[in-house]
Amino acid sequence: MSILDVESFRVLFAQEAEGRLATLGQLALELEAAGNDEGIIAAIFREVHTLKGSAAVVGFGEVSGCAHRLEQRLEALRSGASPVSSELVDALLQALDELGALTAQAVGGEVAEVGLKPLTIPTVSLPSPAAPAVRPPAGAHDAGVVMVPLERLDELIRLVGESAAAHLRVGRLLWERLGLEPAGIPEFSELSRTLNDLQERTMRTRMVPVATMTDQLHRAVRDLARTLGREVAWEVRGGDTELDRGVLRQLSDSLLHLVRNAVDHGVEIPEERVVAGKPPQGHILLHAMQLGSEVVIAVTDDGRGIDVSRVRSQAERQGIETAGLSDEEALQLVFRSGLSTAHFVSDVSGRGVGLDVVEASVGAARGRIEVRSVAGKGTEFRLIVPISLAVLPCLVVAAGDQHFALPMHSVILARADHAGDTAHAEERSAVWIGGMPVVVSSLVGTLGMPSTPPAGPVVILESGARRYGFQVDALVGQRDVVVKDLGQLLPRLGVVQGAGVDPDGAVLVVLDASGLIERAWRSGAAPADSPPTGAVREPPPAGGVILVVDDALTVRELQRSILERAGYRVRLASDGTEALAALIGEPVDLVLTDVEMPRLDGFGLTEAIRSHPALANTAVLILSSRASDEDRVRGMEAGADGYIIKSAFDERGLLTAVEQLLGSRG
Amino acid sequence: MGPDLYAVPMDGVRKVVRAPLLTRLPTAPALVLGLFNLRGEIVPLLDTPALMGLSRIPDWPFVAVVRSSLGLAGLAATAFPEPAALGEPVGPSESPATAGTYAVGGRLAVLLDIEELLGGASRRGNHLLARPSMQGTG
Repeated sequence: MSILDVESFRVLFAQEAEGRLATLGQLALELEAAGNDEGIIAAIFREVHTLKGSAAVVGFGEVSGCAHRLEQRLEALRSGASPVSSELVDALLQALDELGALTAQAVGGEVAEVGLKPLTIPTVSLPSPAAPAVRPPAGAHDAGVVMVPLERLDELIRLVGESAAAHLRVGRLLWERLGLEPAGIPEFSELSRTLNDLQERTMRTRMVPVATMTDQLHRAVRDLARTLGREVAWEVRGGDTELDRGVLRQLSDSLLHLVRNAVDHGVEIPEERVVAGKPPQGHILLHAMQLGSEVVIAVTDDGRGIDVSRVRSQAERQGIETAGLSDEEALQLVFRSGLSTAHFVSDVSGRGVGLDVVEASVGAARGRIEVRSVAGKGTEFRLIVPISLAVLPCLVVAAGDQHFALPMHSVILARADHAGDTAHAEERSAVWIGGMPVVVSSLVGTLGMPSTPPAGPVVILESGARRYGFQVDALVGQRDVVVKDLGQLLPRLGVVQGAGVDPDGAVLVVLDASGLIERAWRSGAAPADSPPTGAVREPPPAGGVILVVDDALTVRELQRSILERAGYRVRLASDGTEALAALIGEPVDLVLTDVEMPRLDGFGLTEAIRSHPALANTAVLILSSRASDEDRVRGMEAGADGYIIKSAFDERGLLTAVEQLLGSRG
Repeated sequence: MGPDLYAVPMDGVRKVVRAPLLTRLPTAPALVLGLFNLRGEIVPLLDTPALMGLSRIPDWPFVAVVRSSLGLAGLAATAFPEPAALGEPVGPSESPATAGTYAVGGRLAVLLDIEELLGGASRRGNHLLARPSMQGTG
């Protein structure tokens, strides 16, 4: 020990403890389901004992002591002195939490980020008899497994990719210099196959089974069900389905949210279930499966389902027309911010976040979410994500004098016959897709690169609910691109998601559909059939730019969606100070502000705008829940152009006020 | 770069490459000449004089790949970079991110501070590559 680095042992312990605590959590839940199972009790005992020993070796006395106390209490269980009950499992789980928290503290917060809250020592009775029996440490964790830092794997993936690229270059050289067809050389083909295998296997090293996070979900379901008085059976199918570790981590909060939602809003209390003719115990199923290059994770409950008519009425109240939507389409509105945060998600299930946040985080993992629900029967949420974030299936296009990759999951279609049915409106061209016009711009024009107008195919991209067509010179083909981040040296570019390396060794820029559509909308002035200007700055859109200032996320997002739908470009700030900084950076046409906010309130912000020489002419509209005349007068005195009361606030009223103010200035 | 000589410490130089195959990076600041592939790593090629707020580089037959805390970067050069031992500085230097003037043979060379050149502005909270002086005056 003395000549070796103690630090490295502690890191090792952190990893070991993480694994053992996860196993213990799982065993505790199994114990609850199985009752007095000697095998499970013995396994729990072994794990705790081994953890105690390891902690002592690396000098974590507190962890070791805590494990020792737990071990003593477990002795009663093993001797059969106390029977297995839910209360006992509660105590056991709490003790594990405590152990986890102590471990995290000891190693510097490196372990088990999820679900560990500092807890007091459980007082639930587990009589503590004398010395524990000593058992040989379990070896299950060490069986043929090596821990490898993630960066080392990424480095391997990079080098393998580079080897494959170099191999292709050698093939080209053979043909060009020696006139040898590489495919006809057995050794060359053999190497191609080996490299392909190698590439695939290396990619797999980053993959982990979905089961690595289901215990944590099980625990959440169990705890919440006990709190809320529900009876829930938890089932996992397809737990061995593998997924990129990064993707799974990105999804963990969303899945946690969905299963908590299922307990809280899906599964009814036992009495209600019996009345409805269902078994008293509800059922929540997490089912993972691989479909091609995607993984589907479905969370299904057999609870009361989502009331579509309620979704409709809430949407109508927000000014969303639902008459033309089928029930299934209307159901998807639960992912809208205003709707999901209002009624479908409580604090319990959401920890304050709504289904819109779930949708956004699934989107960040390049996935999508769908919901199906039958009233009285249950609800199913499906997350559909790519297996790996490292390899992105792309459509490669030629535009200007270079190739670009467009992520396949945002490509709706690519069509060559652009000239056939083009429509024109407001100096933009459009194509008809499924009966709806989709605006088309030149890809290079949108990117601000000089070129001749393209005359090739149009690629329709979709991001969120928005579709946009981009005209390119040619389609090159589909390709799996190993996407890399551009690093810290370069500024973030909205239109660029990253870059990969082409088989010929050239760098391939991977474009971001959402950033591209955003930029095309904003620039607006780059129709496909007029020469692109290559301008760096986009002119402001006809509708004007509005800064929405409110400390409530829901209000901000609601206003943003209303204003964006009306054609305005919207920026956001969460208080007066932030708003002022944003305005000084880039002025807007109108500021829509709340009154009560931290740091600088709406009145203060208005005064600051009026006294700033560059901003003095900005229109200011105050939106307040204070209806008193005194406040209205104060707003006017501060220099506001308008004052709307939140209680009287409706979409049309807001838009009318905005139009009046911007019109009077235009 | 053109008639001027610049020096970077050898231990900060990863490699010198001849005009690499360059891919333009759309919407990036003008001083990002493009991206190139260095053994599977994607490296930005930067307009070295423009980085210092001087005029834009006309062409870049050679690239010195340097290491910084923010990652690898290619510095464009108009002539082949050669090793030289610098003695005592013969005078101060005026451009930002430089650390003195040195005599090399009968010529003068200005020593560059790579970290300051590439990362200086991000330490000040304002990204280097978005700095107004970076627009280049041509």
